[in-house]
Amino acid sequence: MSTSASETTAESVGAPRTIPRPTSESRYFWDACARHELVIQRCTSCGRCWFPPSNHCQYCWSEDFAWTPVSGRGELYTFTVFRRAYASELVEQIPYVVGVVELEEGPRLITNITECETAHVRVGMPVEVVFNDIAEGFTLHAFRPREDPQSPGTGAV
Amino acid sequence: MYQRSAAIVGAAHSQLGEVPGSTAIGLMADAAVAAVVDAGLTPSDIDGIVVRGPDDEYCFHQQLGERLGLNASFSTSLDNGGASQSLAVILASLAIEAGLATAVLCGYARNSWTRTRRSGSRNARMNQSTHARIREWRDSFGYFGEPATHALGAQRHMATYGTTKEHLGHVAVSVREHATRNPHAQIRWPLTMDEYMDGRPITDPFGIYDCSLRTDGAGAVVVTDVARARDLPHTPVIVRGFGSQNNLRGWTVDDHMVQTAAKASGELAYRSADVSPSDIDTAQLYDCFTYMLLVQIEDYGFCEKGEGGEFISAGALGLDGEIPTNTSGGQLSEGHVEGMLQVVEGVRQLRHEYPAERQVTDAELALVSGHGGNTVCHSTLILERGR
Repeated sequence: MSTSASETTAESVGAPRTIPRPTSESRYFWDACARHELVIQRCTSCGRCWFPPSNHCQYCWSEDFAWTPVSGRGELYTFTVFRRAYASELVEQIPYVVGVVELEEGPRLITNITECETAHVRVGMPVEVVFNDIAEGFTLHAFRPREDPQSPGTGAV
Repeated sequence: MYQRSAAIVGAAHSQLGEVPGSTAIGLMADAAVAAVVDAGLTPSDIDGIVVRGPDDEYCFHQQLGERLGLNASFSTSLDNGGASQSLAVILASLAIEAGLATAVLCGYARNSWTRTRRSGSRNARMNQSTHARIREWRDSFGYFGEPATHALGAQRHMATYGTTKEHLGHVAVSVREHATRNPHAQIRWPLTMDEYMDGRPITDPFGIYDCSLRTDGAGAVVVTDVARARDLPHTPVIVRGFGSQNNLRGWTVDDHMVQTAAKASGELAYRSADVSPSDIDTAQLYDCFTYMLLVQIEDYGFCEKGEGGEFISAGALGLDGEIPTNTSGGQLSEGHVEGMLQVVEGVRQLRHEYPAERQVTDAELALVSGHGGNTVCHSTLILERGR
């Protein structure tokens, strides 16, 4: 998508979304998402990873990093179920789950939890990445349970 | 080291709650003038201003100086969110000790209720977040509003320590109980646990009664040196110690959600004041959401980590409880003025100026907290009743 365009709302895969405007630092990440690939930056000096994207390693301040494909697997660190719509285009969407996923590689991402009843979402649940093509050339990541999430959630109702 | 040479000598708040047509700077001036009058000082005595207003108001201290006809040898507006207001008192104390100023006005003002009403929609302001980075990494996922940020922490705490929705309910009910005795509180009707549990759901585990209020209001205090304070009308309230901690790496990293910056800020403050948690007679904590009060009770060492829910459910926050907390009703019930009313309430409790039904008996030491700045900035004051 064009960087000169403002954030717009697109209707696709069931829900309208705010499409972010990629920055010089995040463009590679979003382009990879559009190819259904999850990538993060790994420091070539100290080997550690960070997220969201920025031009310096958070640990050693090196500017040398490599975009690295990650497993797409992780654990749900925490989550919340939105019961109230903060924008008119989200009314149809509630209840939906915003979660923080800790990737096997370390960094935590804010994302959505999908393909799971809200009552079955629980902290510590193993999850894996999926991709939602929400607009032409633009894709958001989401995570779904890696196992059948049959045990009731911890305070998730 | 700080020599404990600063004292709070004046404290006031503006009209609170729904003040139609109000502006933040107008409310700020109301509270500032009232605080200076309360201190027994005159405009020409004030040579310092450390304040904060709504995030979109540029150079708030300059606006206040212009309104009140004040120049200042030391003045600034702060940018640590809800931690700014306690930090203002810290900076004022340091400035006084360093000779940069002799009497400093500290304060905060907002007109959140009026702004929401004017916009015609309670949600309008939240449809797009103000920071590009938040728009990019939160809005896209339908993650809007501050309740969700704190709910993420609450949910992690519940999973880690077994904290329950009822535990959060006891925070809301306890704080409201204090508000029933505060004639200035925005909401004064008693809240029952059933009403709490039936509250309109917002974002799990939070319902409407887990969230602080949209308030028009301001608070202000005047800080000067202890020697001068002794000649003024009120019992001085000594700034005995303070601390701060800013977990700038973020809310979602490390264990910041379940052990907040209050922990390290509190340790610094206790060391600075040479006191321990058991010495504190009353706590005035930044309760933007029920969970934030609960986690700070733990982080400040009033109970063990993970036991805040049980501790509070046993009545710890009440006037006769283990640690009478947010005795004015806090941001959940008195009004959300970003921690400034916590400072004002701490001062009033230490002056022993309330009727018995609101007064913490023989209160000598108060702990006041501020928290904010994307929920990672924290400041702590330990205030002492002077002689």
